[in-house]
Amino acid sequence: MNLVMIGLEIHAQITALKSKLFCSCYGNYRDLRPNTNICEVCIGLPGTLPIINKKAIEYATMTSVALGCKVPGKIMFYRKNYFYPDLPKNFQITQYNVYGFSSIGADGLFELDDSKKIRITRVQLEEDPGRIAYSEEGMNVRNSALVDYNRAGAALIEIVTEPDFNDPKEVRLFLNKLTLTLEHIGVCDTLLEGAVRCDVNVSMKGGNKVEIKNINSFKEVEKAINYEVTRQTSMYNRNLKIEYETRHWDDRKKITFKARSKEEEHDYRYFPEPDIPVIVLGNNFVSTLKGYMPELPNERFNRYVSNYKLTEHTSNILINDKKLADFFESCVEIYFSPVEIANVLITDLKSFIDNDSESTDYLSNMKVKPEHIAELVKLIEGNKISRITAKDILIKIAESGISPSEVLNSTNSFKIVDEKTLKDAIDTVFDTETSAVNDARNNPEAINYLLGKVMKFTKGRADPKIAASLINIKLRKSEN
Amino acid sequence: MAHLHDLLAYEVVEGIKGQQFTAEQYVGSIIKRIEDVDSKLRSFITVDSEGALSSAKIIDRKIKEKEDIGSLAGVTIGIKDNISTKGIRTTCASKILEGYVPSYDATVIRKLKENGAIILGKLNLDEFGMGSTTEYSSFHSTHNPWNLDYVPGGSSGGSGAAVAAGECTVSLGSDTGGSIRCPASFCSVVGLKPTYGRVSRYGLISYANSLEQIGPICRSVKDAVMIMNIISGKDIMDNTSIQSTPIAIQRKLGKLNIAIIKELIDGSDHDVTTTVYSASEKFKDVGYSCEEVSIKNLDYALPSYYTLASAEASSNLARYDNIRYGFDFPIEEYKWDTYFSNVRKNFGQEVKRRILIGSYVLSSGYYSKYYLKARMLRSLLKLELLKLFNKYDLLIGPTMPILPFKIGEKIDDPFKMYLVDINTVLANLAGIPAISIPVGFSNGLPIGLQIMAAPFQEQKLIDASLALEDTIDIQRRPIAI
Amino acid sequence: MISIEELKYLAEISKINLTDDEINRFPPQLNKTIEYIDILEELASDESITLDLHEINFDELRDDVVKKSDGLPIIKNLTEEGFLRGPKMK
Repeated sequence: MNLVMIGLEIHAQITALKSKLFCSCYGNYRDLRPNTNICEVCIGLPGTLPIINKKAIEYATMTSVALGCKVPGKIMFYRKNYFYPDLPKNFQITQYNVYGFSSIGADGLFELDDSKKIRITRVQLEEDPGRIAYSEEGMNVRNSALVDYNRAGAALIEIVTEPDFNDPKEVRLFLNKLTLTLEHIGVCDTLLEGAVRCDVNVSMKGGNKVEIKNINSFKEVEKAINYEVTRQTSMYNRNLKIEYETRHWDDRKKITFKARSKEEEHDYRYFPEPDIPVIVLGNNFVSTLKGYMPELPNERFNRYVSNYKLTEHTSNILINDKKLADFFESCVEIYFSPVEIANVLITDLKSFIDNDSESTDYLSNMKVKPEHIAELVKLIEGNKISRITAKDILIKIAESGISPSEVLNSTNSFKIVDEKTLKDAIDTVFDTETSAVNDARNNPEAINYLLGKVMKFTKGRADPKIAASLINIKLRKSEN
Repeated sequence: MAHLHDLLAYEVVEGIKGQQFTAEQYVGSIIKRIEDVDSKLRSFITVDSEGALSSAKIIDRKIKEKEDIGSLAGVTIGIKDNISTKGIRTTCASKILEGYVPSYDATVIRKLKENGAIILGKLNLDEFGMGSTTEYSSFHSTHNPWNLDYVPGGSSGGSGAAVAAGECTVSLGSDTGGSIRCPASFCSVVGLKPTYGRVSRYGLISYANSLEQIGPICRSVKDAVMIMNIISGKDIMDNTSIQSTPIAIQRKLGKLNIAIIKELIDGSDHDVTTTVYSASEKFKDVGYSCEEVSIKNLDYALPSYYTLASAEASSNLARYDNIRYGFDFPIEEYKWDTYFSNVRKNFGQEVKRRILIGSYVLSSGYYSKYYLKARMLRSLLKLELLKLFNKYDLLIGPTMPILPFKIGEKIDDPFKMYLVDINTVLANLAGIPAISIPVGFSNGLPIGLQIMAAPFQEQKLIDASLALEDTIDIQRRPIAI
Repeated sequence: MISIEELKYLAEISKINLTDDEINRFPPQLNKTIEYIDILEELASDESITLDLHEINFDELRDDVVKKSDGLPIIKNLTEEGFLRGPKMK
């Protein structure tokens, strides 16, 4: 039902930066005592001037490129003037294209799926304001606001789309793909609290746009859109005019409510920021950047499928977890066996980590290193150990951090290929499993049960192929 | 023998290094001078005599121990009170910053200190730099040392008066539309506005950031050059600053071609033009050529200036909401937006007017009509001046179209006040360097000559100024005090 | 020209609480200035005039390096937890 048109305005922090956008305070303000990550510049003390961070422009350009945008040869900054306690200068330094294309990107296209692309109106760099906190134990919150400027001046990338979405599910898919892209190009660690925020606008075809702000998570985005679509549809059906307005999402009551009407919309009085000259990027800026920019997710996916011969399913799993994909490539760099390595990572490593991990950072905290995986796979392929043993070894490495060969030596876990040893093991099993042996003479399926017992007896070390054929030989022998 | 407080900066340094007197003696004489005359002049907002004396003692100790003391050792500097000085109250002559003590030094202050200069105190100005007479200071007016009933000019009126009266060796002012040159002209001292970007604005409390620069106000051209060379330079803390080459203190260049701007002469009082003409004759005496030229776009200069300056000011002054720093005003009883509005009603009248005009010209619907047009004019004007500078080395005219006037004379008509800036705004709009040097008096009231050059051609300004200084015998010590 | 209504609007967006006296006195004063700057309309809107804009090259910009402040800037009115105490929001 193309009656509904939805557009997005996304703010993603450039968490990859060490410092803020216009000063040298820490870019990552989380967990710091309030008002300690500030300086004269980001507090806007009289006489201070913004000093732009070069790396922020690089990351913003990468984002523009990833979104298929045009990047101008020169960029400018503008002031957006409004008063608010979390805004130290009572203006925000941002970008603006109304008087000429001067933001870091515009006119882009982002593939949603095989049938649909979303148009990206613009990408711009701007500064984050501080935070107004209310909930403090013991403070009489009603009489004052509590403000923390640690975040003020952190770098944000704003991404605005055309109202090309017709369905909240499309929005969700887009947000997932977008955050994955931002992760892959290394601009934003999207799982950090508050790192990505999304506002939406909803209109019924031909009608006024309603902006919805104050949405705190992607889950809430879908809910807010659904609510608003229902609200507007019912008004539309009753021939009521939908006004152009800004609404806020209330995530407790699960409704949108009016925040500002058109008349109350701010007049931001945009004008070019006099303290920041026009920044000349140069003609080769984008092409040079493309040369060292990290791979985009679908580029990497294609490489996994065509170069590494991984299945699409496996590739998807890896791509959707960038840290795992990076880990995978480190392993492959040491020992080129991508299919088997992917196998071990996805089937063996991932499963017990999923049970175990608390943080998203499990890979860097983990004791299992790429060298270990590489060695393990070498041993498997060299038929020195079985796959079952490999999993056990992995567990031990995760506990102790010692290498696979050390584990093997200490536990004597090498695969048994020696026929005499295997025969001894099989003899022992045959002696204890007489009824199964009888079954097996008639029922070939029961052989698997015997094989299982042999594997158990040898603590998983028996080479299953050789053991199976020896069992068969013994069975036939005893028949005769 | 001249009083210690009459010494020029280079004489002070020579005297202290040559141990003719100690830094402590010198600073002591300056402090005494302030005590003697400032109750009449009222140049200062804050005097840091303790700090100055202890800095002086440090210099004296270093001399004893044969340590390096810097090229400005012992020079006392009065700082316009819109320049950030760490630990010393910086008010911009506004009630809104009455209690504000900066936690950092402006780059120019840091550089001066590094070279042994002594920060003496903070000088009066029109509130936030908006004005031409210092009458808009919310604390008190400053008086012209040549005639106490008259204005000293503005907005750096305190800087002009203090230097003229020997209350400091040199001073720093700031110039957005003429605020260094106007008081220099009215107080018969030298005032130099550098090329835009030559001096770092880090620490200059912004009024109109695309127009303003910090510069020296001194009793001699040589002093101005000494200070300018120290404070110039590209600064990482100011993205608009640009590296430049030092200015030589001696005349370096040969013959210069000068042009007098016809419209500025036509618009000036008779006494002013007579004095300026006779000064230009002196240029011919030293071998410079002097012709008359016309500037086509001059009528648009002041309207463009006021549009741009007000627009920038309305945004630059938005930060003053008193919740992070400012003055004593309790937050109880107010919601945040009414708190802001009630705090900000403590701006002076002129500041309020400019903020309102600024908001007006930037508001949607008017942006193209005023702001964009003003920027266009600015580009046109700069192009026109640069074309003239292809043919001429220097453009001259009276700094002020009128003689200094009485305190209170123009205060009731803000618009009349704006018109006195007509000669000076050109240099700010075009970003070019300009100097005002004293060239004479009429009825005991000073007259200044303004010389402008192309961007980064300060050497030409200085050459011509030195030539004139040598030939014109100007009375240096104000008789009123 | 600025009417009293427009003046009140400008005062609101500039967050300045004007007195009644100022509300009456300012419009004629401001309008004299507005009249004066109206002369800018005479300038043709010539797209070909490249605005004189200062430029800086990308390479000259600040590197992404953290510098800790010498001493924290003094902002007033901090609570024990370190928050700035501002006027209430509602």
